[in-house]
Amino acid sequence: MDKLIDLGPEFWTAAGETLYMVFFTMLFGGLAGLVLGIGLYVTRTGGLLPNVVVNNVLNVLINFFRPIPFIIFIAAVQPLTRAVIGIGIGTNAAVFALSLAASFAIGRIVEQNLLTVKPGVIEAARSMGAGPWRILTTVVIGEALGPLILGYTFIIVAVIDMSAMAGFLGGGGLGYFAQLYGYRQFEPIVTWAAVLLIIVFVQIVQYLGNWLARKVLRR
Amino acid sequence: MAIVSLANVSKSYPSPERGAPRIVAVDDVSLEIEAGEVTGIIGYSGAGKSTLVRLINALEPATDGTVTIDGRAITGLPERELRAVRLGIGMIFQQFNLFEAKTVAQNVAYPLKVAGWGKAEITARVQELLDFVGLADKARAYPDQLSGGQKQRVGIARALATRPRILLADEATSALDPETTQEVLALLKRVNEEYGVTMVVITHEMDVIQSIATKVAVMDGGRVIEQGDVFDVFSDPQHASSRKFVSTVVQGVPSPAELAVLRERHAGRIATFSFRDGDAAQARVFVELAQAGLEFELVYGGINDIRGRAFGHLTLAIRGEEAAIDRALARIGELVAVTEPPIGDGAVGDGAVGGGAVGDGAVGDGAQDGEAR
Ligand SMILES: Nc1ncnc2c1ncn2[C@@H]1O[C@H](COP(=O)(O)OP(=O)(O)OP(=O)(O)O)[C@@H](O)[C@H]1O
Ligand SMILES: [Mg+2]
Repeated sequence: MDKLIDLGPEFWTAAGETLYMVFFTMLFGGLAGLVLGIGLYVTRTGGLLPNVVVNNVLNVLINFFRPIPFIIFIAAVQPLTRAVIGIGIGTNAAVFALSLAASFAIGRIVEQNLLTVKPGVIEAARSMGAGPWRILTTVVIGEALGPLILGYTFIIVAVIDMSAMAGFLGGGGLGYFAQLYGYRQFEPIVTWAAVLLIIVFVQIVQYLGNWLARKVLRR
Repeated sequence: MAIVSLANVSKSYPSPERGAPRIVAVDDVSLEIEAGEVTGIIGYSGAGKSTLVRLINALEPATDGTVTIDGRAITGLPERELRAVRLGIGMIFQQFNLFEAKTVAQNVAYPLKVAGWGKAEITARVQELLDFVGLADKARAYPDQLSGGQKQRVGIARALATRPRILLADEATSALDPETTQEVLALLKRVNEEYGVTMVVITHEMDVIQSIATKVAVMDGGRVIEQGDVFDVFSDPQHASSRKFVSTVVQGVPSPAELAVLRERHAGRIATFSFRDGDAAQARVFVELAQAGLEFELVYGGINDIRGRAFGHLTLAIRGEEAAIDRALARIGELVAVTEPPIGDGAVGDGAVGGGAVGDGAVGDGAQDGEAR
């Protein structure tokens, strides 16, 4: 316990790093995933802007990267990380790898949630003379907002989990903290403290997500 | 001049299997719809009714032929211009297709936003429309808080928002109970009469045809096999296939299963006599049969009323000498349409006859007092 109190400053720094990584991953990866998912959705056969070539390219891209375990993914994209961020390690490098990996998963989740919008509703909008972009932005996204929020909530929780592995890139965060000060130094209380805080984060995110989705869905 | 005109229009889809022939949904249809008319489109499932209607507002492009709206050929127009055409054609649906995430008022406002109306104009128009359909108090409700009938009224308000001259309805009342159907039909009738909106209504319900349609087109296998005045098509269908379809929706024509039961219960030859519009022939039929010394009983029947004109069908079981029956039926055939359904047509469904034909003026099969007078 004393050990944990001694490590107080490091603990809170690690918590801050986790929040930093999750926030920026959701910002960049979340946006990229939204674009990917919308791209998949609109270009599919029978979609708003059908385009077989684009659809196939996006599908292959996602199917190629998504199954790679994140721990391997981090190492594999390191050259790219270095090229883009300028450095292969550290919190920002971790955010880059996390964003990239998350965007593929988010793309699929966005696509799946947009597909829950009933075709009849889109047909109704078309019959009123609305064009594809207007339908996408004013009908499809609104109709799918509830499930989209739940999908993003699910992803945030997954990113919190993934961010624990960022320690391998020297990205810091609670996962790294638990490993460094808890596991390696045989201080289970330190490990548990980190785990506990991660659980608290997850609970808060899930609670907010559910609340927001319920508000949107009015039930 | 017709407000909607289809000239040799076809629509086919690529077959799901490689090498197989294309699926022809609409096959060489020519149809003229006059302004102010309510045209019913009827036919079996898969006949191509929905596809035909979607060709009118270009939700589906025709593969062949020309669709003309208000004198302007729309076939082959670029998508951007088709959107402008669609603003002038409203559409309502079986499943209502309301935007679930928008309020009633926002649903009705949507087409107006698409059409580029100003905010103040939209507010006023939405209010006017909600008053018209009787849902002013539901403006802020969401669709999942409404009953089916209310949802369809919102659908109608939304479809009429931009003051289109044409309204398309694809089975608009099929998901509603009979009472609600009547309410919605009454509303559609007002839309037609007060605003002169031309309507094309797909339906398989006699109710809909009876209460609002002025013209009807019968579809089968992608073709329009018969079209014309509702009364003419229903009281005297010309085409074998439309006769078959019409007999399933009008009052008083026994189905094959009902015929089998009638044959079991009643001795003699079964013949159906079709009367139109109060011609005096009904009495003559009975007189002819009596004079021929034949015994007969009324076993099935019903009267249909279309816009104040009636037609009906009576099915009799006739007993007597075969040759005498033949002679009598031949003489009667000069007065009214006589059909003798072939024997062995359809299986016996238990209790299929039920109470006989229901509906106004219907004569149940229990009415066995049609003995010769
Ligand atoms: N997008 C499509 N792709 C392939 N085939 C289609 C498509 N749309 C319709 N069809 C086919 O065209 C034919 C006519 O369909 P349509 O929906 O117009 O019939 P319908 O008369 O409206 O039937 P229902 O009464 O069941 O609604 C059917 O055989 C259907 O399978
Ligand atoms: Mg249909």
